Amino acid sequence: MGNFFPRWTNWFPLKLAIALAFIGAGVSVGIAYYFTPKYTRVGYEPTQPVPFSHKLHAGELGMDCRYCHSFVEVSGHANVPTNQTCFNCHGPGKGNIKSASPKLEKVLTAHETGEPIPWVKLHKSPDYAYFNHSVHINRGVSCASCHGKINEMEVVYHDQPLSMGWCLDCHRNPENNLRPLDQITNLNYKPSDLDRAGFYKDLLANGVPVKEVAEVISGKPLDFEPKGVDDLLALAERKYGKQVSQLEVGTQLKQHWQIQPPESCAACHR
Amino acid sequence: MKRNWQHPAEPRTGKRYWRSTAELEQRSEFLNKVGIEFPGGDTLNEEERENSRREFLKVMGAATGLMGLGLASCRRPVFNILPYTDHVEWVIPGKPLLYATAMPRPGGVTPLVVTTYEGRPTHVQGNTLHPFGGGIDSFAQASVLDLYDPERSKKPLAQSEESDWERANVILKKVVAEAKKEQGKGLAIVVGDSTSPTLHRLLGEIRKAYPQTSLYTYEALSHAGGKTVHSALVGPKLKPVVRLGRAKRILTLDCDFLGLEPVAGDHIKEFSKHRSKDAPGGEMNRLYSLENRYTVTGGMADHRKPLAASLIPVAAAVIAAELGEASAQALAKEAPGSLRDWLKPAIKDLKENSGSSLVLAGSRYGKEVHALVAAINHALGAFGSTIEWVAAGQEAETQSFQALQTAVAAGQVKTLVSLTPSDLLFDLPNAGDFGKAIRDKKVAFIHLGHNVNLSARKAALHLPSAHYLEAWGDALAADGTYSIVQPMIQPLYDGVSEIELLLALLGQKALGPVTVAEGEEATKTDAAYDAVRATFGAVVGGMKENVWNVSLRDGFVKGSAGQATSVAFNVGALSGMLADVKAAPVPSASALEVVLVPSSHAWDGRYIANAWLQEAPDPVTKLTWDNAAWLGSKTFRDLKLKEGQMITVTVNGSELTLPAIEAPGHVTNSISIPVGYGQKELGFVGSDSDGKGRGFDAYPLRKSDSFVLTGATVTVTEEIYPFAITQEQNTMEGRAVYREATLTDFNKPDYTSQTGMDSHIPENISFYKGQVGRKSEKNPSGFDYEKEHQWGMTIDLSKCIGCTACIVACQSENNIPVVGKDQVRKGRVMQWIRMDRYFAMSKWGENDAPSDDVHIDPTPEQLENAEMVMQPLACQQCESAPCETVCPVNATVHTEDGLNAMAYNRCIGTRYCANNCPYTARRFNWFDYNKRPLDELYWGPLSTPEKTGVRESMKLQKNPNVTVRMRGVIEKCTYCVQRLEAAKIQQKQKQRDSKDFRIPTDTVKVACQQACAMEAIEFGDLADEKSNLNKLKASPRNYEVLKYIGTRPRTSYLVRLRNPNPEMPGAENIAAWSAKQI
Repeated sequence: MGNFFPRWTNWFPLKLAIALAFIGAGVSVGIAYYFTPKYTRVGYEPTQPVPFSHKLHAGELGMDCRYCHSFVEVSGHANVPTNQTCFNCHGPGKGNIKSASPKLEKVLTAHETGEPIPWVKLHKSPDYAYFNHSVHINRGVSCASCHGKINEMEVVYHDQPLSMGWCLDCHRNPENNLRPLDQITNLNYKPSDLDRAGFYKDLLANGVPVKEVAEVISGKPLDFEPKGVDDLLALAERKYGKQVSQLEVGTQLKQHWQIQPPESCAACHR
Repeated sequence: MKRNWQHPAEPRTGKRYWRSTAELEQRSEFLNKVGIEFPGGDTLNEEERENSRREFLKVMGAATGLMGLGLASCRRPVFNILPYTDHVEWVIPGKPLLYATAMPRPGGVTPLVVTTYEGRPTHVQGNTLHPFGGGIDSFAQASVLDLYDPERSKKPLAQSEESDWERANVILKKVVAEAKKEQGKGLAIVVGDSTSPTLHRLLGEIRKAYPQTSLYTYEALSHAGGKTVHSALVGPKLKPVVRLGRAKRILTLDCDFLGLEPVAGDHIKEFSKHRSKDAPGGEMNRLYSLENRYTVTGGMADHRKPLAASLIPVAAAVIAAELGEASAQALAKEAPGSLRDWLKPAIKDLKENSGSSLVLAGSRYGKEVHALVAAINHALGAFGSTIEWVAAGQEAETQSFQALQTAVAAGQVKTLVSLTPSDLLFDLPNAGDFGKAIRDKKVAFIHLGHNVNLSARKAALHLPSAHYLEAWGDALAADGTYSIVQPMIQPLYDGVSEIELLLALLGQKALGPVTVAEGEEATKTDAAYDAVRATFGAVVGGMKENVWNVSLRDGFVKGSAGQATSVAFNVGALSGMLADVKAAPVPSASALEVVLVPSSHAWDGRYIANAWLQEAPDPVTKLTWDNAAWLGSKTFRDLKLKEGQMITVTVNGSELTLPAIEAPGHVTNSISIPVGYGQKELGFVGSDSDGKGRGFDAYPLRKSDSFVLTGATVTVTEEIYPFAITQEQNTMEGRAVYREATLTDFNKPDYTSQTGMDSHIPENISFYKGQVGRKSEKNPSGFDYEKEHQWGMTIDLSKCIGCTACIVACQSENNIPVVGKDQVRKGRVMQWIRMDRYFAMSKWGENDAPSDDVHIDPTPEQLENAEMVMQPLACQQCESAPCETVCPVNATVHTEDGLNAMAYNRCIGTRYCANNCPYTARRFNWFDYNKRPLDELYWGPLSTPEKTGVRESMKLQKNPNVTVRMRGVIEKCTYCVQRLEAAKIQQKQKQRDSKDFRIPTDTVKVACQQACAMEAIEFGDLADEKSNLNKLKASPRNYEVLKYIGTRPRTSYLVRLRNPNPEMPGAENIAAWSAKQI
């Protein structure tokens, strides 16, 4: 009896295994890339019923986020404004700015009929995840950390993945995102713009002992007594260089505001 | 380290606690259930097994079909954000708004604070600012569900045909025209026992406008006897206010004042304040109770004697005679010797505490008994001390319902307008005859009601009533404090309130939806609102906007209470009534007595359509979704009955066939039947899906206004009725987890070392190397008390009466589904709090012989005298939690603040955790209870199209801060984690750039704690040294259930203290301490 299997079959199992390994790896990488919020969510930019430009309002005109999203500091939801808020400027008989513009047509109709404008929801967390805006805004996390530079968006798009892993990254290392409370709604904020002396003076004015601040900068117990801001500036410059860095600000705020973001399930899932 | 997992053997001698006689006697029906976490869980019943193949193919077919749909819809769903177009005052989207209001109750009011989300009321709690505010009962707690009841009355009915408001207004206009013409002749109005000053003012106006109108009061369960006596004694202008807080000794004659028959007076928290001690020394109050069946009051009593209701007048006579009331002597002589012996030391105790003692009689007794009790209280010096007299509100004069029956029969009534929340044609004595008279005499019957009940269906015109959260109103609290009923939401179905209907009768309002003609501005005034404000103006002496606003905020008018006055008593009037006292025959096996009692689910029947109440187990029998005949053990065993066996009760020529249930603590030759059940065509909750009614209607048994019927006979049938009883579900397998002691023992110096086995258990060995205890140098992995809150709870068993209000509050707060009778039978009840009710006996067996035998043969007398204790049990939040170690997906883990958290979205439903929980505190969602009607559960997505999906209105009640759980996940008590997180977030909003993270002491309260009227539950932060919780945890009474297994629960219990009178017969058995008690 001749050879039942042709010669090429000798290598077939190995080839198959290698091929499967490649296919498997390809599928895994594909899923890891295309099926996660980094790909599926980031960049989502639906057309809104009213062509409202954040770039114009928050960027060029420099309006504060909280003018419209007025309850963001007290409520879990960052509310979408009512018509009355729009009409403070655009309303006939009020500011009357561009009140005849066709872009405002739907706002006018909504005002007359009382039917709300159906804005398209962009940042959607699942029903079982309870995100709270106020607790982040009041404790040093900026709007920009999650929503990106809204002041540069003509139409708002999804800037960050907002996935659970992404949330946890920050909850585990909050120092990467913390900033002084007066910079929360400053979407153009860069740590390097901060005045180092001013930053440390504010901390000391808040009742934090100089030594504690100094120890956070150096990261270890000090063997001398720092005297004041000048000592701190010297220490900071040695550690972080000329410009203020995010880590420098973040570690200080985390320590002195007692920022300890919860990492357990019950923080977000109830 | 090896660990001995063997449970210490349960002591077979000494005191034993048991849930059912089957457990006590170790009968097979109990033994078959024990140790099974999910009885009837995985198994299909006969019918299901037969159908399962067909079902499987059907489901697979549907699944294939749905796959096609699924692929087509593989696209991002678009969600919309719909902002308000105009700002709404006070509303901040995402934040709850709390308003004060009040729930009108017969003869009083329950002051409430309502949580609303964007205008939807979702949860109610007691208003603690109010002088009579505090925890609330389960009826008030569940009332928010009635608002959203999809089966409530929504449209006017004319002759039980659907009608509309236009037609209703036409009919009402005719009534008004007729009344004007005839001066009100032939117009009769029946109201409930309402204390609303506006309602009574409008009744007065109707009297003025139509002078010949006749007014009647009707409540199915009334306090008529007591009222008659009080008005004879001090005149109708004064009413009694019972000061429970001042009473050191209380004796109740079948008055369930802690449960279903609240007395007008102090909130029961005043009673509970004197029920426990945390330091030796000092006094407690003492409660004596005589009753034919167990009530929660009887369970709380220090001394209780089961006594037939027919003998209650005799017992009252014995006390009165002993205190020197001559006219009671004759009756007192008829008392059995045992009753005399029992009463003698009790009376002595009452006398010794003259001025701070109190005797209460049940509302079901007539004026004779109440006259005796008035004489007793007068002799004890209770009047002016434990019973105060305050000016009653100005109420319109009304007649009794007997007068109404006579008037209707005589043809004097042409139009009958019923505003009473009772169901006239269902619960009146001889309701059938009354209905016939209405039909024969062609009475135009106009009915206002919440449900489409019997009266509604028989009425010429039925109007859906507005829920109290939908309409303006007012009511007076016990001492006359003026309380405002503030609406939270526009009427969902255009219902009208009692006040609005009266305004319509005065021709001042058209009913139904407000219609605004085009181009016209909607007028903002609401006639009922104006009427209430007018009354308010009269109360405070002129309308003052700022006082009105403050009163709305607080829910009541400060300082509007009537002043306690000293009065002259017309004692002579009492002896006139005492002359009527006759001894009822002592019930015997051939002539039993039947006592009709209020139902803990439906009260008089008005709450029958409330699913939360239906499923909250009865405190005593643990029966859900039904009523039954409660029989004492001797009677039950003499008749050779099985649980649920149908018996036919014949009394006064009426028959009722209903299932029987053995009730330990129930007196022999007596049958108690809760009323209100057996209503037909009320929808699924009230009447089951076939509309035939749930339970059995006991009202037709009575022919007069008496609720104690004598001379009944019983015949036994073969049929066994299926009960849904929770008493043997989720048992602790006989482990003695309850502890009690007497005040005397507690005051002894060596109390703590004597109690239980806690003192000699080995040091805790953790189930896993994790966080246990407080973080310290020795225990670096422990919980951080410096940087986190550490939550904990104590439950005071001295105070818990087992009323189930906490269960309902938990259900309302945490979106816990109702599962229905069928599922309860399978042990799938979802309530996170389980109210364990144990009976207990310190002596048992023939001749009280302690025996090591497993099988116990208690005598019927011992069963009749069993003690009853309550223990609410939810997740204990163990630090070393057995459930966490077995979860394969980490769905249940520990939080930094010591909670045993549950991530529903992660749970895959292995149920390992539930099986590993020594407290059996976990519940599994066998079906999408929140998604489907309960009678269509097994059909899944294939249920009939009109029935698939939950009704829209039910969604409105859900708490938006709690996940609505789906099928296949485990759930359990979370310590209301949503409230804790909200409190922490609120503190962080204030904290901003400081270190001050700790929420103010004792400001966060959990739902069960708020609901508890007896203030038995304390919750707080263990890491906050000032918290009340820490004080209680330091109490010598503090103990942990199953401490020896080393789970380190965060919930602990406080030993129940009882205060027996050593001179009473059997005092040595009360809270007797078993040497081997665990």
